[in-house]
Amino acid sequence: MPMRQTKLWKFFSSIKLAIWLLAIICALSLIGTFIAQNEEPAFYISRYGQYGYSLLLKTGLADVYNSWWFILPLVMISLNLMACILNRLSFKGRQLGTFICHVSVLVILTGALIGMVYGQKGYMKINKAEEAGSFEVGKKHVDLGFSVRLDDFIYNESIDPKEKLSVYDGKLIAEIPTAVGAEQEIAGTGYKVKILRYLPDFVMDMSTKEASSRSTNANNPAIQVELKGKDGFQDKFWVFARYPDMHQSIKSNYKFVYNWVGRRPKDFISKVTIIKGGREMISRDIRVNSPVKFQGYIFFQHNYDQERLNWTGLKVVKDPGVGVVYLGFILFILGLSIRFYISPLLRRE
Amino acid sequence: MYSILLNVAFAAYFLAMVFYFLEVFFNHKALLFLARAFVFCAVACLTAYTAMRWHIAGRPPLSDMFESLVIFSWAIGLVLLFIDLRYKIKSISSLVALMGLLALGYASFLDKEIAPLVPALKSNWLTIHVLTCFIGYSALTVGFVSGLIILFKKDEIVKLDTVSYKIIAFGFLFLTMGIITGAVWANSAWGTYWSWDPKETWSLITWFIYAIYLHTRLVKGWKGQKAAWLAVIGFLAMLFTYFGVNYLLSGLHSYA
Repeated sequence: MPMRQTKLWKFFSSIKLAIWLLAIICALSLIGTFIAQNEEPAFYISRYGQYGYSLLLKTGLADVYNSWWFILPLVMISLNLMACILNRLSFKGRQLGTFICHVSVLVILTGALIGMVYGQKGYMKINKAEEAGSFEVGKKHVDLGFSVRLDDFIYNESIDPKEKLSVYDGKLIAEIPTAVGAEQEIAGTGYKVKILRYLPDFVMDMSTKEASSRSTNANNPAIQVELKGKDGFQDKFWVFARYPDMHQSIKSNYKFVYNWVGRRPKDFISKVTIIKGGREMISRDIRVNSPVKFQGYIFFQHNYDQERLNWTGLKVVKDPGVGVVYLGFILFILGLSIRFYISPLLRRE
Repeated sequence: MYSILLNVAFAAYFLAMVFYFLEVFFNHKALLFLARAFVFCAVACLTAYTAMRWHIAGRPPLSDMFESLVIFSWAIGLVLLFIDLRYKIKSISSLVALMGLLALGYASFLDKEIAPLVPALKSNWLTIHVLTCFIGYSALTVGFVSGLIILFKKDEIVKLDTVSYKIIAFGFLFLTMGIITGAVWANSAWGTYWSWDPKETWSLITWFIYAIYLHTRLVKGWKGQKAAWLAVIGFLAMLFTYFGVNYLLSGLHSYA
């Protein structure tokens, strides 16, 4: 019996199957959006209890998109798609657009498969002024063949324009922007205010009297202010957003109030140098949305030391399938445009 | 302040809705003209508002729920004008104008403050991703409205059904582009083009429902009521992708 007349072939080349599989994949992927995926055991136990957690593990509900009952319909729809392309569609005439669309889905899936088989995804943590030559994939260490040195990590925040340092002398006499370096004269007094430092989480070392930030979280925002007068008067002191009465200026008739407004992250920048065989190859900035590529590996800004900005966490990706996936993307848009717009136009003429 | 433009657009949408509605019953050319003029006015106001906000913020105003709702309303107006001028179907225009009105009405409850972009959004993909998504969303909204009317009406069904199909095909193309630009952007920001994040998954669910719509229609010949039901279900999934994921589920895509 010829292959195309077997029951199996007929089963896999039916549109009815395709529609059912689309609906089934919809329903299954929906489950994974309502149960948090791939969390720590403690998370599930606190939410669903010990028994619930073991049930989630057994059924694969905590990792829906990698479980067999999710992969199976995906494999089936791929076979379905292949059979339909061979059986129903042709590259010619009216079906050109439809053909390209369906082939491009296979191209995308092929690209994804290449990524799964030959790709690597991992994570590396580098301390400031140190270099690392490997990254972690799960519990394994993978050697890069070169190393990455973290020259500096920069974290910037954007300051709300409403954030001000207000100066009172009985009444409000000045409002000064709080960006570090900002300078302003208090009109008519001859006094000048300058913002020297900003610490989101002020803490003082009692032995050295050295101020620093415990973390980048705004637990105790403080700015260091310099006050200068005409007659050579000079004073430096801290003003605290949470403790408005704590500042200690020697000019006691002035009261400084720091109106802190939530700051938002502006930049995370890892300044790195890639070193191979003892030679410095390139020096680059890794930012969110602008990763750095070297010898097939791409380094993405992933996380950072929120306490002291002393280390950066990079995501390391090698995915030879991406080009294929992107080709599929372009083909799909092209196919859809042909199917709905170019073909009908040609047919009309 | 330039936010007066939003109020004018809101009023214009309201009047457009009223005149479209009256036109269904009184069938007078002046009513239709006025309705179209008001939609045009709403779109013009929203365009000006977006341009000014873009100028003031120094970045595309497409970064949070408020800004996206304004763009959604703007895109609904554009699609409405196109559909109305091209297909001249009376029964849907009033309801589509209501959709534009609802989007603006909802936006008016949200914080209008211009906030600086967080690092994840600083990308050239922002504009193209958001625009393709919302042009798609607004087309699918029109598909939903025509579907809804098909479910309640007895006449004009064939014409409504054709328009519904055409606009859904258009919406599907833009939804596809929205998902693809999102995937490419995710790959350049996070190193994966697909991570089964709730927003991604729900956009795929929405896409699958419209894929089912197209397959049942083009291969199985589903039209009229059956197709209309799928247009309604697809729209509900789209709404969940847009709002539900942000308010009910947590994930990477927490902006809008």
